[in-house]
This record gives sequence, C-alpha cells and structure tokens, in this order.
Amino acid sequence: MKREHCHSSATASQNNSKPEYSSPPSSALNGKAKIWVDEQGYSGSGGMDELLAVLGYKVRTDDMADVAEKLEQLEMVMGSAQEDGISQLSDTVHYNPSDLSGWVQSMLSELNTGEDMPSINGPLLAPGESSTRTSTKFCNSQRTRVFNDDSEYDLRAIPGVAAYPPAHSSSETESTRKRLKTSIGSNSGGIEVSGAVSDPTRPLVLVDSQETGVQLVHTLMACAEAVQQENLKVADALVKHVGLLAAAQTGAMRKVATYFAEALARRIYRIYPQDCLDSSYSDILQMHFYETCPYLKFAHFTANQAILEAFATATRVHVIDFGLKQGMQWPALMQALALRPGGPPAFRLTGIGPPQPDNTDALQQVGWKLAQLAETIGVEFEFRGFVSSSLADLEPSMLDIRQDEAVAVNSVFELHGLLARAGAVDKVLSSIKAMKPKIVTIVEQEANHNGPAFLDRFTEALHYYSSLFDSLEGSSGPSQDLVMSEVYLGRQICNVVACEGGDRVERHETLTQWRGRMDSAGFDSVHLGSNAFKQASMLLALFAGVDGYRVEENNGSLMLGWHTRPLIVTSAWKLASSTE
Amino acid sequence: MHQNQNTSSQDSKEKRPKFFINDHIDILVEILKRLDGPSLGVAACVCHLWSTVARNDTIWEHLCFRHVSSPPPCSVRHVVVALGGYKRLYRVCMRPVLSRLSDSDMVKRVWTRDEIQLSLSLFCVDYYERSGRLGAGGGGDASASSLMFLCNTVNV
Repeated sequence: MKREHCHSSATASQNNSKPEYSSPPSSALNGKAKIWVDEQGYSGSGGMDELLAVLGYKVRTDDMADVAEKLEQLEMVMGSAQEDGISQLSDTVHYNPSDLSGWVQSMLSELNTGEDMPSINGPLLAPGESSTRTSTKFCNSQRTRVFNDDSEYDLRAIPGVAAYPPAHSSSETESTRKRLKTSIGSNSGGIEVSGAVSDPTRPLVLVDSQETGVQLVHTLMACAEAVQQENLKVADALVKHVGLLAAAQTGAMRKVATYFAEALARRIYRIYPQDCLDSSYSDILQMHFYETCPYLKFAHFTANQAILEAFATATRVHVIDFGLKQGMQWPALMQALALRPGGPPAFRLTGIGPPQPDNTDALQQVGWKLAQLAETIGVEFEFRGFVSSSLADLEPSMLDIRQDEAVAVNSVFELHGLLARAGAVDKVLSSIKAMKPKIVTIVEQEANHNGPAFLDRFTEALHYYSSLFDSLEGSSGPSQDLVMSEVYLGRQICNVVACEGGDRVERHETLTQWRGRMDSAGFDSVHLGSNAFKQASMLLALFAGVDGYRVEENNGSLMLGWHTRPLIVTSAWKLASSTE
Repeated sequence: MHQNQNTSSQDSKEKRPKFFINDHIDILVEILKRLDGPSLGVAACVCHLWSTVARNDTIWEHLCFRHVSSPPPCSVRHVVVALGGYKRLYRVCMRPVLSRLSDSDMVKRVWTRDEIQLSLSLFCVDYYERSGRLGAGGGGDASASSLMFLCNTVNV
C-alpha cells in the first residue's frame, strides 16, 4: 500500500509543478525516473533533477535510478525495523540533507553498522530454507548480520520444522537469508544458489510474486508458531510483515493471506470478534455463498437424493432440518416428491433456527414461503419452527413425531459447532436416535480444524481455505456475490484462528472422524446411490468455465472437492439394525 | 398484349387458391411445434399473430420434451405450469442445462431423465427464489440469482 501511495504521488509529480511528498518516493520513481530522464533531456544547473530541486533536494538526474534503489532499500529496512531501531538513526548528524543521495547512503550504512539492531534485512522474516528452491538468490552483503540469539527480534530464533528444515548448520543460517531480488552495493561473499549473478546496477523492480508467495506462506507459518509459543512480540512483527508481503500478491493468495493475517492479529492483540452477530447477517452471507459456488447446492442435492430414496414408499414424511436458514434445500425435494410416481406424500417440515435479535420470526416466514410453494405444486404441507440457540437444547419429545410418518434428519454444517461444548454432540446424537429416523443426512467440511495444537489447526486451515478461495476465483457471477462469499469464509477463518473455547465453533472434522463418532453412537452408513452421484456431477458441469470441481465417492459418501482436495462431504446414516 | 398477360395471370390465379398461413393457425402451430428454441424465438418476432401463437405453452412443452426417450408423466405438466410454464422452464433451465452438458448439436440428442429432473429441480428453486424476492408483486421475469450461474457464457 505504501508503494501505491508513492506511485500516485509520483504520477502527480508529473502533472503539477509543486508535488507534495509525504514519504520518500521509492519504487514509483524508479520506472518514472528513467522515462523522465529520457524525455526531459534537460540539464540545467549541473544536471540536477528539476522536480526534486523544487522541493529542495539536489539529485543528479544520472543518479536518479541509483537513489531510487537506495530509497527502496531504506524503505524495506525501516519498514521492518522496530521503533528502537529507527531511533538509533538520530545519532548521526546530516550536514547536507539536500544531497538526497548522500544522506540516504549514510542512513543505509548507519543501519548496517548499528549495534544491537534488530535484523532488518527486508524480508528476512522468511526463513531461509529452500534447498528445494533453486531460483532463490542469496546475497550476503554487509547488511546481513549475525545478531545475538537472545534478541527478541532475532527471527531466526523461531524454531520449528514449520519454518525451517531441521538440519541447518549455523554458518548457513546467516547466509541463507532470503532476499528480494535487489542488489545492494557490494556482494561480499554472496552465496548464490542459482547460477545468475545479481547485477548491482540493475534497477529495482517489484518483487517476484512467486518468491513472495512462498515467503508469505512461510511467514504465516512462522507467525502461527510464534503465537503458539506465546512469543507475541515476534508474532506481532511477523504479522505486520505478512501484510506487506500479501500486498505483493494477487488473487486468491492475497485474500487468503489477508484474512489469516487479520485473524492472527486478532489473536495476538486479543481483539476477539463478537460472536453474537446477527444471525440474519450470516444467513445473507450464506445466501451469497450459495449463489456463487456449487458447494451448498451440491450438499442440498445429494442430501435430498438420499432422503428421496429413503422415502420411496412412505405416504407421510417428516423432515427435521437442523439449520433451516432460508430453506433453500426444500423446494427441490418438494418438487421431486410432487412428481413421484404414485403421487406425493404428505410432507411435514420442522425447521430449527437460532434466536433472532430483533424478535422477527424468521422461521415462520420461511415456512410460509415453502407452504406457498407446496400449494402451488400440489403437495400437502405442514411446517413447524423451533427457535433454539443450541441443538443440544432440543428434546425429541418437543418435535411431536407421529407414529405413521417416516422421519428424516438433515444437518448441513450444523454438527461441528456442537464440538465446542463437552457432551453436546453426544446428546444430540442420542436425541436423533430417539427420533427413530429412517435416514440421517449429514454434510460437513472435510478438514481437521479441531486438533489440540494451534499450529496444526492453522496449517490445516491455511490449506483448506486456500483451496476454497482458489475455487471461488474462477466464478463468474456478480462481483458483489463473490465479495460476500469471501466475507462468509473470512468469518470462518477468523473463528478457527482467533477464537478459543466455547467461542470457537468452526470445529471442522474429517469424514473419518465423523464416521467413528456415528458408528460408536449406533448408526450404520447408508450408501448414496449412483443417482446422487450423477446429479451432483451434472450440477457441477453446469458451473461454466470452472472445471476444477471434482465429485468423488468415498465408501458410500460423496465428496466435493477442488482439484485434488476434497472440501465438503455428504454422508447418510440410519439406525444400526441391532435392536429391531 | 397487356390484356393477354392479365388474362393469363388471372387464369393462374383462379387455378391456384390463395394460401395465407395466418388464416390457418392450427397449421402454424404444428409447424412451430417442430422448431428449435432459437428459431421459435425468431418466429415470435415475425408479427403480432405469430408472437401470440408462439407464446402458447404447448409449443414450448413440445420443445422441452421432444427428444425425451419416454414421455413424461402427466403430473409434470401441472407442476411446471404452476411454477411458471414451459417457456420459462426452457429459457431458464433446460436450454442452459442442455447446452452445457452436451458437446454435439443439442437438437438431435436424447435428453435423459436425469437431466430433466435436474432442470425441474432448478426450476423449482427458481420459483421459490422469485416468490421470496417479489414480496409486493413485480416482474415475474426476473431471473433468480441462484440460477445466475446458468446464464453465464460458456468458455468453449
């Protein structure tokens, strides 16, 4: 962002004669300066740059590129230094501040020779690893230093396999600092992995975004590790750096990094997001998510297919929906029931939802809409809504389950929240059993975001949401939908990373874990048939232009994923047939 | 000579009765029933009469189920009509679904039951969204946003 600002100020400088610089123009000057020199061809007053001269700086036009480079380096250095570091600069007296080139150079050399300075080598935060990365350039100049190990700013001290590969000799550590593709005056003893020698006079360009992409991931990981070890100052420095690196990225990577950085910052500063946000707001967000990408549609269609097959011969059916929201799942089911050979059954729906802050009866409104639809297509319909802040508060007796009806229980992304409270999920599962359902359909995220260690959860979540955001990138709907979907996912990220205890409700678990839980609770798996698979595949094929989605069958459950990564799973269950 | 031409043209006129398609709506309907979607759309632009005829839902019903291997059950018509009619079904669901899912010429291929079921489900979702959106009346033609993904152009 700083760069953009400089950019605009640099462009402004070309238009006005009296530009205002609030920060030293850095990279923006670089490209512009060269053009300028060519176009200007002006060499008044000893070849000094005219515009800067107006401000009071004397810089030779020939030196412009060089000065720009140095300013860039200075910016990087100052950007990552802590405040203590900058105050050290005040010791030097600058006699000729109009000699921009001179004082920048002296600042740089001063920062290099300062004692007990934090390691301020630009993106030093990225641990140097990379035996696998052959394109990395390593420059060991006078600026890289070995600092005291007990300095809290010595970020090399962050241990961990996450950040560094284990076998690392100390001599390598100093020199294997990853750098921007910059060149600094002298490359004394530079160690280069790639064959190319960095050209000292090459003008600065923006960082290679692929390099910063990898740096970004590593910085995030290092930050998470620091957080896990309660090393909050280091984490703070790192999280700020993530912001800098993220700005150099584009697309999904940038968004994911931004959300994760924000969540980490919240965790560090203990500014926890309010969890009592309006549930209608989260419903709206989920609607946008529904419209942008196929995950929820997939969930609905596959669950409906399982329910339809279970209800094949029933004349009265009762569906209990653990999270009614806008009721988007049920029109399709009602339509399929209406066109069932032999006519539709009597359809009863019980919808469960959280309490509304403004006391509107959202459930009844949805029920009313569904009732209108039912009347239109000729299905006998009955609706009941239950307001409950937690599924564990529900008692099966409240639901008035009648003798002659076939019951289905449907839960889309509702069960993982129960894991935040001890015993809640077991209570709910036993309630489900008491309802004697013919089928239980469960849709959950396929990820383990509920491990005991923060770093593991963080890593998992980073991979999961990266894939998810990636899949959203190709979506070609209205951009507002996309933004809202991202906000929806961003809130989940925030919850996984920043919250703890009862507040952390996004406790996703993998299919294997859910299977274990269901099996021990007394449920048998029901295989989703080929109809569900076909419908799901067709549905995905409809999402034009985005061909990364994959439907996979996993022992009777259907998984929807992006390329090789499964993201959500639909599974169906029935009561274990031991008692009857 | 002038007179000769007149009499000869008059003779030919008398021998051939005038035929005006607009006088025979039933034949027009039969012809339109056999057109494909885009052609039907073009036909609807010919004149007021054709436009009215083309709006006839049975023509679109024929279009929707023309290439189905087995005829749909009669209950389907009631549901489809209630949800907005065959013309809308074709425009909003079936045409995009089929054009996305088939590589070859859409007209000739046989539509599978699954595709029809999927189209009908999406159609129902469309109705539900519209009915929720238009609390106080409004254009029934607004396409539901959850089906927007169907309207997007395909990268061939």
